[in-house]
Amino acid sequence: MIGQYYSWGLLVVLIAAVAGFAALAFEKDDLHRLLLIDLVEIPSLGFIALLGTDLAEALILPGLVVGIAELFALSQIYLVKEGLQDRPVRALRIEVVQRSPAPLVLSSILVVYGVILSGFTGGAIAALGLIFLFLAKDSADDLHLLELASGMSWVLWIAAFFVFMFLPEYWYAALMGAAIGILIKVVTKLALVGTMWGEQA
Amino acid sequence: MTTAGGTPLFLLEFGDIVISFTPYTTSLFILALVFTLLVIASRPERQLDIAFGTDAYMTKEISLSEMRFRRFMAIACGLASMGAVVTGDLFDFCLFTALVGICNVGIVAAVKSRHVQNAAYQYGLVALAATVLLFGGSAMVAATTGTLSLPILATGTLPAVPLAVKAFIVIGVMGEGMAPFYAAKAEMFRAPGAPYVIMCSLSSLLIFLRVIEVVVQL
Repeated sequence: MIGQYYSWGLLVVLIAAVAGFAALAFEKDDLHRLLLIDLVEIPSLGFIALLGTDLAEALILPGLVVGIAELFALSQIYLVKEGLQDRPVRALRIEVVQRSPAPLVLSSILVVYGVILSGFTGGAIAALGLIFLFLAKDSADDLHLLELASGMSWVLWIAAFFVFMFLPEYWYAALMGAAIGILIKVVTKLALVGTMWGEQA
Repeated sequence: MTTAGGTPLFLLEFGDIVISFTPYTTSLFILALVFTLLVIASRPERQLDIAFGTDAYMTKEISLSEMRFRRFMAIACGLASMGAVVTGDLFDFCLFTALVGICNVGIVAAVKSRHVQNAAYQYGLVALAATVLLFGGSAMVAATTGTLSLPILATGTLPAVPLAVKAFIVIGVMGEGMAPFYAAKAEMFRAPGAPYVIMCSLSSLLIFLRVIEVVVQL
């Protein structure tokens, strides 16, 4: 089940975790503690990754999501408790980038590559391209279309899972549906995050 | 198939994740369900401050949106504890426990008082640090036994899980469950918002009771 070097890997991850916890114990500043706790989260993913199986790959995602959710919650509490909420967040305002066709070219390369990869990873890469485009351009107008696409792809994804459960003989169609659904879902969701970040300015 | 919690009354199968309602887990589940319904139905109370040396007293003003948020968090916390007490998969148990931790922090963090938020923040750091032990423990269980399924682990035919790994899981759950420690923070204990804070205590109690059953069977 487990590889030959599992114990050594475990030792490395444990040392990393102990180092992170020691840093946490010494650090007194709240913001630095938040950053350190993010660092401590990485060994916890390391523990899972050490399994080195398909199962590990499937378990890392929920582990990561839980870690990020807690980090978001904590940073929100930090903002409220320090009274930092009314600071404006500015979008990228780089003149050279705004006037040249470079963002369009770069982001279309990323989107095409993301679509070829497909699935979750592809979605993340294609979304990076879109976020870059939205941040570089000044305006973002068609949010409704993005929201609609996000919702529809979610439906496609869920429908694919129902096909898996109730009509297993059409598994190939369901697989393609789920892959495209999660691709569009991740792309639109991350792109929406990108545009809303820019809009607050 | 008999586990530490008794013979399952009802099995709910999702592929290879089997949710088993043994007499033990069923009673915990019903407890969580009843308290979640109570949270949904109950009306929030306001805290009273008495001016010392006089007959005057005043109620603390709590906004509706704050109460809505805390009720949402309390309900989510109830759902997460229901999941944690019946699940048949060790990793799912860890995820639900981490969710209980987030919801517990959310219930108290909505209070508009700097001291309470400070305590909630420190507590959140503990909960986040505890996920390392929690996920690390469950990953090591998978590494030593090759499975995460609790019914299979309970059969006792698999290699024994080291004591340190069991300790990892228990300490991880202790970090997530707020109840024993939040009483140590004075401001958190008297945070206004009467019916919702109960979910902190109840969910911690339930996940503690469940983790004992889980660890005994490993």
